[in-house]
Amino acid sequence: MKMIIQPRDERTQPARIIAGYPQTPLRSPKEPLVKRAPTLSELSGPLEVAKRVKLLGGDIAGQGEKQAIGQLIHLRVRVLDEDGAPVGGAVVEMWQANAAGRYIHPNDDDHAPPDPNFYGAARVVTDESGVFELRTVKPGAYPVPTRDGWWRPPHVHFSVFGRVWLARLVTQMYFPGEPLNAQDRILNAVPDAAARDSLVARYIPPGVEPYNALVFEHQIVLRGRAATPAQP
Amino acid sequence: MMIPTGEATIGPFFPPRYVDAGANDLTVFEGRKAKGEAIEIHGRVMQEDGTALENLIVEIWQADAGGIFRHPADPRHAQADPNFLGWGRAATDAQGNYRFKTIRPGAQEGRAPHINFMVMFSGLMRILKTTMFFEDGKDPVLMAVPAARRSLLIAKGNYEFNIRLRGENETPFFDD
Ligand SMILES: [Fe+2]
Repeated sequence: MKMIIQPRDERTQPARIIAGYPQTPLRSPKEPLVKRAPTLSELSGPLEVAKRVKLLGGDIAGQGEKQAIGQLIHLRVRVLDEDGAPVGGAVVEMWQANAAGRYIHPNDDDHAPPDPNFYGAARVVTDESGVFELRTVKPGAYPVPTRDGWWRPPHVHFSVFGRVWLARLVTQMYFPGEPLNAQDRILNAVPDAAARDSLVARYIPPGVEPYNALVFEHQIVLRGRAATPAQP
Repeated sequence: MMIPTGEATIGPFFPPRYVDAGANDLTVFEGRKAKGEAIEIHGRVMQEDGTALENLIVEIWQADAGGIFRHPADPRHAQADPNFLGWGRAATDAQGNYRFKTIRPGAQEGRAPHINFMVMFSGLMRILKTTMFFEDGKDPVLMAVPAARRSLLIAKGNYEFNIRLRGENETPFFDD
């Protein structure tokens, strides 16, 4: 089994401490991270997480009376390893705000209404071509109430289990053409412009299935020089 | 009702059912008991000022009682305990404590018994990885850590492993 792991390129990864995110200076290690030569322990990893956690399928926008409010969107996301090979059987966890920019979470404040028909999270497994698809509603932006006020643009959180422990990735996906992308402190904490762009999904013009939702395609690279940047 | 603070409203906001019931118990898999010595690992997770962190997500990955990983990269994986997944997830409580029930892992050639940890939380732009050991020794991953900080990776008692994200006695994290 081929198990060469290239390091991530530091320029493609976000700064650990950023202005306007007051938790980052309290929680990011001060000491330099320790470099280690990977052993079997890091070059293996859980492959059967789906047997331990509850999967929650590809339609979180709901149907009939249980439909969430918002712009229907369809996400088609491919998970790749560092060689660009699809990672089939990967567990992907996703969560997002509702169309008004509100999460179901005790710490989220009352700036916007909850949607009783929207749980806002999914857990899926990629197919043999590394792809998973999700029907959801487009998340709303939400304000960050720090003194110099900024907003999180519409985004979706992903947590991905690759084939090895070193490939564990937690990141976010953004939407193209959003004016708030340019001021987002978290997206712009990634120094390399191409790496930032790789966090933005691609809008697919009408004419492809499904016909009743806006389609976005995206790809997530778990490791290597072209690795998708981590995001909180 | 919580007062909206910076803490309260940047996120990430993990979904309510993100940590499945039983996900922190590795001693049972699909209703069957794993082989080996059942142990409990617990610890408190703190930020720079010593404040305990609630609802922080901790994951672990480890070998089974025989030191075998449930993964094809392990040449012995055909002999892995079928009733041991090796992965678990926990969230910290209001006092910042997490808890796992698991099996004491066996050693591999060249590696001392150990458990890999991963932490994800608000304020962490990237997930953090560390490794817990049961005792001091010649393990290559432990030896990669500056000598003065190695003791921070060794569990105390039966088995306490605190994680300090930053500051005094900061846990060594690995550049993965
Ligand atoms: Fe978010």
